[in-house]
Amino acid sequence: METKLTELESLKIIHEMIATSKNRLKNNSFFYLLWGWLVLIASISHYVLLRIHVDHHYAYLLWPILMMAGAIVSVIAGIRIGKREKVISHIDKMIMLLWWGFCFTLLVVLVMASFQKLSWSATYAFIIALYGLGTFVSGGILKFKPLIIGGIISWIMSVLALFVEPINILLVMALSIVIAYLIPGYMLKFKEK
Amino acid sequence: MFRELDPLLHNPLRLSVMSLLITLESAEFNYLLEKTGATAGNLSVQINKLKEADYIRVQKSFKKNYPLTTCKITPSGIDAFEKYVDALQDYLSAKKDKG
Repeated sequence: METKLTELESLKIIHEMIATSKNRLKNNSFFYLLWGWLVLIASISHYVLLRIHVDHHYAYLLWPILMMAGAIVSVIAGIRIGKREKVISHIDKMIMLLWWGFCFTLLVVLVMASFQKLSWSATYAFIIALYGLGTFVSGGILKFKPLIIGGIISWIMSVLALFVEPINILLVMALSIVIAYLIPGYMLKFKEK
Repeated sequence: MFRELDPLLHNPLRLSVMSLLITLESAEFNYLLEKTGATAGNLSVQINKLKEADYIRVQKSFKKNYPLTTCKITPSGIDAFEKYVDALQDYLSAKKDKG
């Protein structure tokens, strides 16, 4: 008799503790919004500067500036969140690994492009596809459909990017970042509250 | 017949701690304190017992001059927990059979 109760109690304890520690969606929206806005500003301003015939070496400058700023802010925010939160969930770890992987892949692609091994059109198209991978997988991990859809649309846009005039790829990039990062980012932020 | 229930896990507080840690990558002492509602002293004792059995790993560091303890379940801890849950199933399905 006593043994039966204890077994049921054990199961109850396990269920309660697991329910308590279930991951809430939190802190993720910040990064999608940060990078979404930075890429949107960089791509639109790059496009505008090229259209008004600014030399392409200067028109490009906002990219390294904004991306470096984004990297610094991301690292600081990541450290702050790590210190503040009392737990690291499996999901947190998976998301971290995914975006680190994305970062390094992006660096490799940029290095190839700077050595003229990839055309700039192909590079931009590939970067859009890479965003697609990041948002698709993170959307799956977080079980958040808008990110998954954003990822799929990014892949479609990256293929479309190859069929437009090179300068217009920047507009395709701007549009894909709105769909894959900004819209899901705001939806996620709303859900996190 | 019935598999033996691991006495180390067959304790409300230790079981609570292991249940929390199995779903997380890691957790701070204060989080475990908050979720289990235990006293700091009792939780400390139980964490040490689990650590000695190599069911959990304990890392001590500092956070703004305060000592910080972070716990993480080990592979053998996960294994022990799974075996415990399997053994629980034996008892509970036996109860069902008896009606």
